Amino acid sequence: MDPKETEPMPKGAAALSFRMGELLLRSGAEIFRVQETMERVARAYGVTEFNAYVLSNAIFAAAVENGVRSETKLKFVPGTVTHFGRIAALNQLSREIAAGMVPEAEAFRRAEEAARIPYTDGKLLILACAVGSACFSFLFGGSLLDAAAALLCGAVLQVFLNVVDRRSASKFITNLAASALVALAAVALYALGLGNSLDKIIIGSIIRLVPGVALTTSIRDFLNGDYLSGTIRMIDAFLVGGCIAVGVGAVVMLYYNFAGGVLPI
Amino acid sequence: MTLPFFLDCLLQTAVAFAATVAFALIFHAPKAQYIPAGLTGAFGWLIYTVFMHFLPNAAFASFFAALGLTYLARVFAFYRRCPVTVFLISGIFPIVPGAGIYYTGYHFFMNSNGAGAEMGLETIKIAIAIALGIGIVVSLPRGFFTRRPKFEGRDVK
Repeated sequence: MDPKETEPMPKGAAALSFRMGELLLRSGAEIFRVQETMERVARAYGVTEFNAYVLSNAIFAAAVENGVRSETKLKFVPGTVTHFGRIAALNQLSREIAAGMVPEAEAFRRAEEAARIPYTDGKLLILACAVGSACFSFLFGGSLLDAAAALLCGAVLQVFLNVVDRRSASKFITNLAASALVALAAVALYALGLGNSLDKIIIGSIIRLVPGVALTTSIRDFLNGDYLSGTIRMIDAFLVGGCIAVGVGAVVMLYYNFAGGVLPI
Repeated sequence: MTLPFFLDCLLQTAVAFAATVAFALIFHAPKAQYIPAGLTGAFGWLIYTVFMHFLPNAAFASFFAALGLTYLARVFAFYRRCPVTVFLISGIFPIVPGAGIYYTGYHFFMNSNGAGAEMGLETIKIAIAIALGIGIVVSLPRGFFTRRPKFEGRDVK
């Protein structure tokens, strides 16, 4: 966009392919899409020999360009934040590259541009999380009052996530704290008389954190033959799910110990 | 509860639409794709509820919902020139067994191990069913999703 932007020096097609793969993986694209895109880009620019092995948290790639220059790269990609906007932009770019319409330097610039597509505004995220939580509370069989309580809990959750994101705390601590906070908010609202079922309030507002998509993606990885990525994702999903259960469970247990009544199991 | 079945379906589908749009937003989807993503999610949930009404088996219902919504996602992906991921991941959000994972952990935490194990198996079953449904539709050739002739250098996946 800005021509004065200091462009990275063109480093060759292999580097471009690699950078695009890394950006895709970081934005939460599927393994086979990352691999496919990297190969397509390398092929379009005439990299004679290109091999890439993509895991859910790392990329390994080797390339031979013009018969002489060879490049081997390895990159660890620890965390992914799903960003569909970036995936869509990179996908569009890779299609144009495959059609032979984009010179290399421009492709580099556009890849970096895609990497800078901003996140959705924080306030909008709070609204979305609140509405989403209320909707899921209702879909799981909650009453309108439950949905109203989930709306508030969802907003609290996203406010917390917005604050934490900036400091990039450990994933497990974040999930534990966030789920405990949601449970606390739900218990408080429930004790105040908003909502008929504590369970429905909590499940609605926790859905933002719960790794349902990750578990399904893990099995899709298995079906695609990406066994290692599938395993990594599955363990990750179980650990995150466990953290959430512990965070919520502890608060709910304390509440029932304190307030009396029968523990909902 | 007192609503007739088809009205209840309609209401639930509308709510699923809103829920999917909300999560498309949370996943930072491009603004132009909010509505198709929401439609994908609503369609999946509609199939799921109708199926559950006549044959209450969550894994079966999820499988057919995944088939239907992945089909729709691929159609949108073609006509809106956007990777199918955007519609697919937003769209499966309502049927994906996130709640199951949570309940599994919750039951184990509360020491009702039997219920936890049962819930865990059910969760895995649903996840496999959805993954299979997606896998089948994703591997169909492109011709199933459009009547237009193929374009050069254009990939729907």
